[in-house]
Amino acid sequence: MVIARKAMAECPKKVASLIDLANLPTNLREFVGQSQISRLDFFIRVWSYIKANNLQDPSNKNLVNCDDKLKRILLGKPQVDLAELPMLIKLHFPKELKQ
Amino acid sequence: MGKIPPAFRSTKLPIPLLHPPPSSSSSPPPHHSKPHPPFPKSRKPQPPRPSSSPSPSPLFSCPDITTALSLLSSPSPPSPSSILRSFISSGASLSSLLSLLPHLPSDRSTTDIAVRSLLSSSRLDDALSLVRHLSSDLSSSPDQFTFNSLIRHLSKSRPISSVYSFIEEMRLLPSGPKPNVVTYTILIDSVCRSGNLREATRLLSVLKDSGFKPDCYVYNVIMKGYCMLDACGEVMEVYNKMKDEGVEPDLVTYNTLVFGLSKAGMVDQAKKILNVMAGMGHFPDAVTYTSLMNGMCRKGDALGALRLLGEMEEKGCSPNECTYNTLLIGLCKAKYLDKGMVLYEVMTAGGMKVDSAAYSTFVRALCRANRVAEAYGVFDYALESKSLTEVTAYSALESSLKWLKKGTQTYEECYKNSNAN
Repeated sequence: MVIARKAMAECPKKVASLIDLANLPTNLREFVGQSQISRLDFFIRVWSYIKANNLQDPSNKNLVNCDDKLKRILLGKPQVDLAELPMLIKLHFPKELKQ
Repeated sequence: MGKIPPAFRSTKLPIPLLHPPPSSSSSPPPHHSKPHPPFPKSRKPQPPRPSSSPSPSPLFSCPDITTALSLLSSPSPPSPSSILRSFISSGASLSSLLSLLPHLPSDRSTTDIAVRSLLSSSRLDDALSLVRHLSSDLSSSPDQFTFNSLIRHLSKSRPISSVYSFIEEMRLLPSGPKPNVVTYTILIDSVCRSGNLREATRLLSVLKDSGFKPDCYVYNVIMKGYCMLDACGEVMEVYNKMKDEGVEPDLVTYNTLVFGLSKAGMVDQAKKILNVMAGMGHFPDAVTYTSLMNGMCRKGDALGALRLLGEMEEKGCSPNECTYNTLLIGLCKAKYLDKGMVLYEVMTAGGMKVDSAAYSTFVRALCRANRVAEAYGVFDYALESKSLTEVTAYSALESSLKWLKKGTQTYEECYKNSNAN
C-alpha cells in the first residue's frame, strides 16, 4: 500500500512535470529573471516572494494581496487565495503535446 | 482508521549481525525515525578484528600488486589488514587479490577482512569464489562470523535455494563452517521477509533436529514475520510457545508483541503486556509506547494516545520523532486539529523532522479546515528541516489543495483572456 502510494506520488510523469525546465513566456521571464525554470522552482520563488514582501492579507493569512509584479504573473488578479496558487501557476506550464 | 500508518510499514529492517551494539536488550537507537517491531540486533560481539582502523589516506590509488608488495617489505609496513582492506576497496580484481593473499599472514582474520571488504563493496560473487577457493585450504577457511555475514548477504539478494546449496557445499568440506543458531536466525528472518512462514516453521524444526535450542532471537524473528504478514494475532501464540519452551523474552520480544497486538487491533491485550513486561523487569521504551499509541490511534482513541504521551514522559521515557509523527497522524485523523497543531509546534520547537505520512495527513487536514496559510507554513518547515524532498512536499500540498477544487476551468478561461488581451 505504501509502495503504491509512493509510486503515485513519485510517478515519473508527475515528477517530470514538476521538475522539468520549461521555456517561460515574457511576463514570467521578467519575474524570475531567467528564461527557463521548473514548475516546482517557480512555485517556490513565488511563495518566497509573497513571504519576503509581506503580501499576505493581515486579517486573513489565506489571501494574498498582489502587488504589481505579482499581478503580472497571476492573471492580473488583485487578490488570490493561497489555495489556488498552485493551479494558477500550473496554467503557465501547459502540458506538452505528444509529438 | 483500520489502515496502518505507513510510518509503520516502510521501516527499514536493521541488519542483525553487521551492526554492533551487542546488547540486544537496549532499545533501537534513537536515530531510527520510525517505530518498528524491533528485531535482534547483533547477538555476538564482532569477530576478532585487528584493531587498526582504516588508514586515513588510501594506500592505493589503483590496485597494484607490486605497490602492495613493496609496502609490505618497506621498513615500517602498515598492518597487513589495512593493506588488504585498502587493496580491495580500490577495486582489485579477484585474481590480483589471490596473488596477494599468499604474502599475508594466512589466518582467519585475513580471510575475514578479505571477505568482508568484498561484501562491503557489493562483490558478492567474488566473495563467494574467494571463500570457495580458500576453503580448500584448512588454515584459512572462513570462521563462523564471516560465514554468517556471507549468508546474510546471500539471502538478501539470492533465492533461498542457492543459499541452501551454498550452506550444503560448505558443510561437505572437512573444515568448512557449519550453520549455527545465528545462521538459522538469518535464514528464518530472510524467509519471513519474503513471506514464506511455512518455510520458516520448517527451518525451526530443522534447527531443533540439529540439536540447537531456539533462543529468543529466533522467536523474535518469527514474531516479526507474523507482523509483516499482517497475521499479527499470531504473535501471542509465538509468545506462549516461548514461555512453554522456557525461553526468556527480552525487550525486543515485548516490543514486537506490543507492536503486533496493536496492529491487530488488540489494544487492550497490548496494554496488559506493558504490565507484564514491567513485572519482568523490562521497562517500556519509546518504541513500546509508540507502537501502543499507534494501536490506540487506529482505534480512534487519539486522546488516549495523547494521555499516554504524558504518562510516558512522567515515567522518564522521552518520546522520539516517531512518537510525535504517530500522534500527529492520529490526532489529524480523529479531527483534533488544534491539538495536532500544538503537537506540531512542540515538534518544530524541538527541530524534529516530520515524516512523509504525518506531513501529508497534517497538510490535508489543514487544507480541509481552510487553514491554507498554516499548511504553507508546514510546507516551509518540511523543506527547512530537510524532512522531505521538495517534490514530495509540494506534491502532497498540491494534491491537498486540488481536493478543495476551486473551479479550475474558470482560471483557464481567464488565462486565455489575459493572453488574448
